[in-house]
Amino acid sequence: MIERLLPAASTSATEIDFLFSLIFWLVGFWFVLSEAIFFGLILRFRKREGRKAQYVTGELQSEKRWITVPHLLVLVCDVFIVFFAVRAWHQVKQDLPTAPTQQVVRVEGAQWAWIFTHPGPDGKLDSADDIRKVNELHVEVDRLYHFQLTSRDVLHSFSVPVFRLKQDAIPGRVITGWFQPTKTGEHDVQCAEICGIGHGLMPARIHIETSEQHAAWIAANSTVSVAAVAGR
Amino acid sequence: MGATFSRTLGAALALAALAAAPVQAEGPDGAELFQLCAQCHGADAGGRELFLAPNLTGLPEWYLLGQLRNFHAGLRGMHPDDTPGLRMFAMARSFAGALADAEMQAVVAYIAKLPVAVPEPTFTDGDPAKGAAFYQVCTACHGADGKGNQALNAPPLTAESDWYLLSSLERYKSGVRSSDPRNANAQLMRGMAATLPDEQAMKDVIAYIRSLGAAQASAQPAP
Repeated sequence: MIERLLPAASTSATEIDFLFSLIFWLVGFWFVLSEAIFFGLILRFRKREGRKAQYVTGELQSEKRWITVPHLLVLVCDVFIVFFAVRAWHQVKQDLPTAPTQQVVRVEGAQWAWIFTHPGPDGKLDSADDIRKVNELHVEVDRLYHFQLTSRDVLHSFSVPVFRLKQDAIPGRVITGWFQPTKTGEHDVQCAEICGIGHGLMPARIHIETSEQHAAWIAANSTVSVAAVAGR
Repeated sequence: MGATFSRTLGAALALAALAAAPVQAEGPDGAELFQLCAQCHGADAGGRELFLAPNLTGLPEWYLLGQLRNFHAGLRGMHPDDTPGLRMFAMARSFAGALADAEMQAVVAYIAKLPVAVPEPTFTDGDPAKGAAFYQVCTACHGADGKGNQALNAPPLTAESDWYLLSSLERYKSGVRSSDPRNANAQLMRGMAATLPDEQAMKDVIAYIRSLGAAQASAQPAP
């Protein structure tokens, strides 16, 4: 449902979209039903000639059931919502999956730009061949990435809508998270936390590339050649 | 009744036609646009070190417009370590669409007409006597009086905040403010800043530039 409006391009996006849809349909069902009953009763017991209004105290069991039965049914729905919410939270925020091919990228929020540090040809962060870019993040499709999120100045929030990912960046802290892109393409990265007057002027782009495209981008942007790294 | 109704309807239609008539375009309002800039540079455009925003007064229109266009085009402010530049790059993005350049011209024209603010010195450990020797390299473009030269794209230096001159020299020298090869003036300044061996030399030359400004101010007839 959500994917029609916004592409889902990460492994966790499906889980979060399912949770959104679950809440939408469960809450939607109860909303429509309760409104239908509410307006139906208003219509049925509206003022009519020769009929006195009845004062209802709601003390009879038959009257109480109108509240208690839906209440209990809604609580059952809540159990489902909480179960899937905890499962999504655990998968996205608490679990940190690893893979042999995983890489780490550094994401820095600053007034008012995103600075992305990519591993160079050696695949390792914090080495001489790192590639630093302002407002552009390049990743490889299907590869697992850990990100180290920091802020240089004030609160920011690293938001990648197509990943259904949003994480606050807090000055003085390094927050580790992860994502695994599933589709190639170019998408928005936004700051989702008011960070000053330029907050609305700091959009960045994430480029999800095939392995060939990504290797070509690394070769074109690293100051250290791939051959030199291979010869170390 | 019918005549009254007709008159009322006629008047209403005439008013509607007036309202729908195209308004004479006046162009962007520089003072209004400057309200955004004032958040960091101050209402007087005198600059605020806290926000890394330099003094904009006392700078000619051609220089301000050139720098604003550089930010807008991404020729300046796109190095990951250029903290003040990253801010201005984002701010320059606020000028968008068909009117972008007209708006930049309007805001710059407004700033260029503001009274010149004289920023307070933020350091006193520069030696103008030593700085005079270093400044000889600068005279080729900025002039012996530090008043700049439009033909060489060299701005006047004497009214600028000392902390900003120091920060700019450091960023030129490190390549942070001269990272884009398309920005020829910044590339030139990178080489010039390289003639200053250390921070103390930078402070010395800035102290000399300040002394030029002070001499010019004292030579002005009292208002």
